[in-house]
Amino acid sequence: MEELILKLKQEIIEVLNLEDIKPEDIDNDAPLFGEGLGLDSIDALELIVLMEKNYGIKLQDPAKGKEIFKSINVMADYIQKNRTR
Amino acid sequence: MERRGLEYVVLNQGNAQLTELYRSQIGDWPKFFKMDTLSKAGFVATELLLKKLGERRCGSEEFIQSRAIVLFGSTASLCADRNYQETIQNKDDYYPSPALFVYTLPNIVTGEIAIRNHWRGESSFYVLVAPDAAQMAFHLACAFQDSVTESILAGWVDSRNNDDFQVFMTLIRKEDAADTDWLAGQLQLIINDLNK
Repeated sequence: MEELILKLKQEIIEVLNLEDIKPEDIDNDAPLFGEGLGLDSIDALELIVLMEKNYGIKLQDPAKGKEIFKSINVMADYIQKNRTR
Repeated sequence: MERRGLEYVVLNQGNAQLTELYRSQIGDWPKFFKMDTLSKAGFVATELLLKKLGERRCGSEEFIQSRAIVLFGSTASLCADRNYQETIQNKDDYYPSPALFVYTLPNIVTGEIAIRNHWRGESSFYVLVAPDAAQMAFHLACAFQDSVTESILAGWVDSRNNDDFQVFMTLIRKEDAADTDWLAGQLQLIINDLNK
């Protein structure tokens, strides 16, 4: 799980162009949206694309993203349980 | 008394220059890194111009309603269009990027600048074949014809690819646009500098 969390953080930093942020700066339990990393709705769409492209997870209901993208820990847990690649 | 010329900023040294300027002169707007080259160029040039003019970021409600943005360019959002196209080119690797898609309109750069500065005046992006001082002066003078606009952030912003752009940014006040010949002459001087 630790390996997946680190990989996920690196992927998020790259795909969302979080230029000045390092994986260790991202708290595993901190909210990704709002306070935390201050991500916006376009970032949420990019995360949906990332899940499909890198892990084969197609979110049928984008509204589910709100729960899945709650934190890195929640997202990594969801990926581990649902990934197809 | 001789009239004072327009203050302006010209940038045309590639993407590395934009990032370096952002880090050394701005640094408090992480969204910069998500922007396409057109928006980055417009954003950085505006920030540097406002610094040069010593203008405060937030003014009164009346001020933010009276500040318009009128930009010009020749390739519009072609650079962002190409970047987005790459994400949908291959049907076996078809993952359209929302973050790239949002920049596939040239007027997004005006929005980025307006959001940063809380300006709520008119905004437009005109596509011209090449920088044309007389045509630009004409459109700027027209933009002052409403009852609200008192000043316009105006400029040329053009990005042919991710590392090749040209931008100038200047501030036009209502009195500057009253004499369109003078304004066109000033814009021509800036265009000459841009093309150096």
